[in-house]
Parts: sequence; C-alpha cells; structure tokens
Amino acid sequence: MPADAWAIPFAVGECSPPDATRGLGKRNNGTQDPQMRGHMAGQGLGRIDDTLLVREAQRGNRAAFEELVRHYDQAVLRLAMHLTGSEHEAQDIYQEAFLKAYKNVGSFRFECSFYTWIYRIVTNLCLDHLRKRQVRKEDAPVAVDAAGEQYDVLDQVPDGRAGANPERDLMRRELGTRISHALERLTPRERMVFELKHYHGLKLRTVGEILHTTEETAKNTLFRATKKLRGTLADMR
Amino acid sequence: MKCEWVQENILLYVYNELADDARYELEQHLVRCTDCAAELKATRKFHAEISQVPVEEPSPNLVAASRMRLQEALETTEQGGFWQRLVFDPAAWLHQMRFSPALASLIFIVGFAGGIGTTYKVVKGGPNEAPSGSIPTQMAESSVSGIRSISQEPGSNRISIRYDTISTEETQGSLNDQRIQQLLLFAARNNYNSGVRMDSVDLLTQKPNDTNVREALIYALRYDSNPGVRLKALDGLGAYVKDDVRVRDAVLEGLMNDSNPGVRTEALHLLKPVQADSSVRVVLRRLSESDQNQYIRSQARTMLAQLPEID
Repeated sequence: MPADAWAIPFAVGECSPPDATRGLGKRNNGTQDPQMRGHMAGQGLGRIDDTLLVREAQRGNRAAFEELVRHYDQAVLRLAMHLTGSEHEAQDIYQEAFLKAYKNVGSFRFECSFYTWIYRIVTNLCLDHLRKRQVRKEDAPVAVDAAGEQYDVLDQVPDGRAGANPERDLMRRELGTRISHALERLTPRERMVFELKHYHGLKLRTVGEILHTTEETAKNTLFRATKKLRGTLADMR
Repeated sequence: MKCEWVQENILLYVYNELADDARYELEQHLVRCTDCAAELKATRKFHAEISQVPVEEPSPNLVAASRMRLQEALETTEQGGFWQRLVFDPAAWLHQMRFSPALASLIFIVGFAGGIGTTYKVVKGGPNEAPSGSIPTQMAESSVSGIRSISQEPGSNRISIRYDTISTEETQGSLNDQRIQQLLLFAARNNYNSGVRMDSVDLLTQKPNDTNVREALIYALRYDSNPGVRLKALDGLGAYVKDDVRVRDAVLEGLMNDSNPGVRTEALHLLKPVQADSSVRVVLRRLSESDQNQYIRSQARTMLAQLPEID
C-alpha cells in the first residue's frame, strides 16, 4: 500500500480533537444541558469521507463540494442563527461562507481538518458580523421610559407566538431578553468563545484551533466572558 | 490545595475540561471546603440559567432554501484555479514558516543524538545503552508521518518528542468482526488500489443491511473511478432500490451520468421494479428522447411503453 494512502486521512485527523466531530452537532432542543450533544454528520468515517470529497472538489467536482456542504450546513446555520438571532442574517453568512470555501478549496492543504477550516471561515464571518452590529448598536432606536431609563424600542415589539401559558412564556421571554442583553455586552471574541464552548459544547482546544489561537487563550477568554456575564446578570436582577 | 486554585478551575470542572487527577483533587477539596462548594453551586446555577436561551435547529425549509440559493450561486461561481495556487500567498507562506523551527529543532536533536551515540560507541567500544538507541529501531519498522510537539524539561537535558508513525499491520477475522468491517469500509472508500477496493466492495455486498455498508456502496457507485467497483456496488444495492430512496437516487444518478455504458445498462435493469416511480419516469422519458446510447434509448422507450399513462 502506498504510504500516502494512510498518511492523508491521519494528517486530516491530526488537528481534529475527539470532540470535533460532535461539538457543533445536532442539539437536543428541549434539554438545558449543553453537554448533551447529538451527533455530527461527519463522524468517524465521515471525516475520512471529507478527505476524498475535498480532493474531488479540488479537481472541480461540484457534486462532491455539495456533498461536503450537506455534511456541515445545518451546524453552520445553527451557529449563525444563535449568534445573529436572525434566520435572514444566518442565511447570508451561510451563503458567503460556502461560496468562500468553494472558491478557496483549491488552496486547502490538509494542514487541519476540513471541519476546522470551514468553521474558521464561518466564525470569521460571524465575528465580522458581530463587530458591525456593535458599531450599528450605537445608532439603535432607543427611548426613555417613565423611570427615565433608556430601553431598546425593538424589545417592545410583541412576540406573535402565543403559548399555552402566557405567564410562564412572559417570564421565559424576560429571562431570554436579559440573557441576550448580557451576551451582547461581551466583545465579539468573548461572545464567540462562549458560544462555541457553552452552546455548542466544543472542547477549548478545538475552540482555540478554530479561532487560530491557543487553548490557554481560549480558556482565559472563557473566564473573562463568564465573569462579565455573571456580573451583568446579577446587576439586572 | 488552595481555594484560589479551586475557584479558578471550578468553571473548567463544570464544563468537564479538567484532567482526571485535577478533577479528583478538586472534588476532594469541595467535600471539605464550604466556600468552594458554594462557588460550585453558584457556577452551576449560572450555567443552568444561561442555558435557557435554546439553540434552535434550523427549520427544514430554511435548510432547503439556503441550499437552493447556494446551488444557484455555485452555477456562476468559478473555483480558484491552477494559477491561483501558483500565486505567492504571504499568509500561507508565513503559516508554513511557523513549523520550520520545530523541524529544524528535530533535525538538530536527531543529529546531536546520532553524534553522541557514535562517539560513545567509539570511545567505549561496547553496546550503546543510551535511551536514544530505541529510536533507530522504531524508525526502521515504521516511518514518521509528523511531529506533534517538542519540549525540554527545564534544568535538565531530557527532551520529549511526540510523533506519529505509519506502520503496516495485519488483522484477521470474519465478516461479522467489527474491526474487519471498519477496515473494509475504509478500504472501499479510500484505497488507491482499485483491486483492493473491488475486493472490499465485493465483501461488503454480503452485508448491505448495515447502514454504514450501504452508505459505502452508494459512495462507491457515485465516486469510484473504476467501473468494475461501481458495478459491484450496484449489484449490492440492487435489492434496496425499492425500499430505500437514497439508493434509488444513487442508481438514477448512475443511469443518467455514469461514463460506463455497462454500469448504466445494469442501473436501468435494476430500476425495472420501480419504473412507475415519478422520478424514474422522468429520467426514462429524458433518456428515451435524447440519450446518445442507442440501447439505453430503446430500453427506456420499452419500459415507458409498459407503464400506464398518467395525465
């Protein structure tokens, strides 16, 4: 057997830590435990598939690239939707990320897994999006309430989805709003690390790899983000 | 253990990121220290609270719409071609350079160790019992595929190198043996020798009930470069054309696009039991009208003629 027949898949797996195949996987929607993750489309053999599909895509096989897209697109949409809070914006990020991947797949050199590579593209786009939103937020429509405090006008738009228990829905919505506000106070990078770790259950090593940094830096960023969030949520009570 | 250390690591404990020994020590400390136990409780409460913003699954409609939009865009998008790879990319070049120090260090270390070993032998004239003596033996048995890390213990001359190797191994077992199945699945998709791929696909066709096996057969039918392997995969999938839509789609795809007339003819025959299916009917109509292969054209026409008309 030629050496490279083995070498390629191992090289691809090289920078994919064990959780990489499950981290951004399908999430059990009802559960509140972020450690309870489902499977990722590209498990085990799936990663090996990726190698061949990437090679085919590099030769210009569009069907192979579309197969790769199908491996990752739901997880990409899930991440973008949770970060942006908007299906429309998530769809834009999805489109831009995969088009970018398609144009540049020829320069993918298997130095890391395709999984890491595609998430680098997606997280970079999401970070750009978060940065732009921070700038825009300064011009956000705000009003002053009876107590003289500023509030975001958009938060007052009623949610059309009425549930069976209005009181519980209201409480949940209030808590959701508080958490969203607290998350928005994080810097884009803190938000991204927290998002990948807490809501998508990735190992810090993977988070570091995706964000082109070390595990230690990802850990420190997570500490900072958590400290800020706890402080903000305590202040809001 | 100090409370300061525990409080710094409680978050990692909650996120299951602590190594086993640190985890054990932390748990022992928590039993004794009420302050740290309270901090753990607060961290867990925060963890539960912040988890109340659910991560929603994208709706099937959104996924489908996104895929369609992307497909349309891909039609008009050019891939970065051959010339782009030749263009000097400073970022990639710098990235490559990052690994150079590690490689240079390794060459230096190996050279140094080799030099020391040789000198030692010459001077002592006896067998070399240095720990480095095991490296050449291993190198002969397997080749190094990459270096993961190089570190030196401070204040000593002890160097640790973590590296990956490629070695040839052999395993034996029946087709029901999980390890054998995994290797066959791997060989069916990845081997560069089409003879090996053919053998593995041939064996896998004996177990097409397994989902992974079926996936591998569909993959072989779609992407394998050898028509013999594709034909074998087609044989294995034949029984599932009726019940598994994915198999049917793959066979239809083979019928439409495969470069080998033998594979296409076989696919056409396999689709006979489901020829009334609307997707099969559409493909048959197209083939009967414009396919370049006369046999396929006439067969498609015959199959269509046997079907009841639908208005």
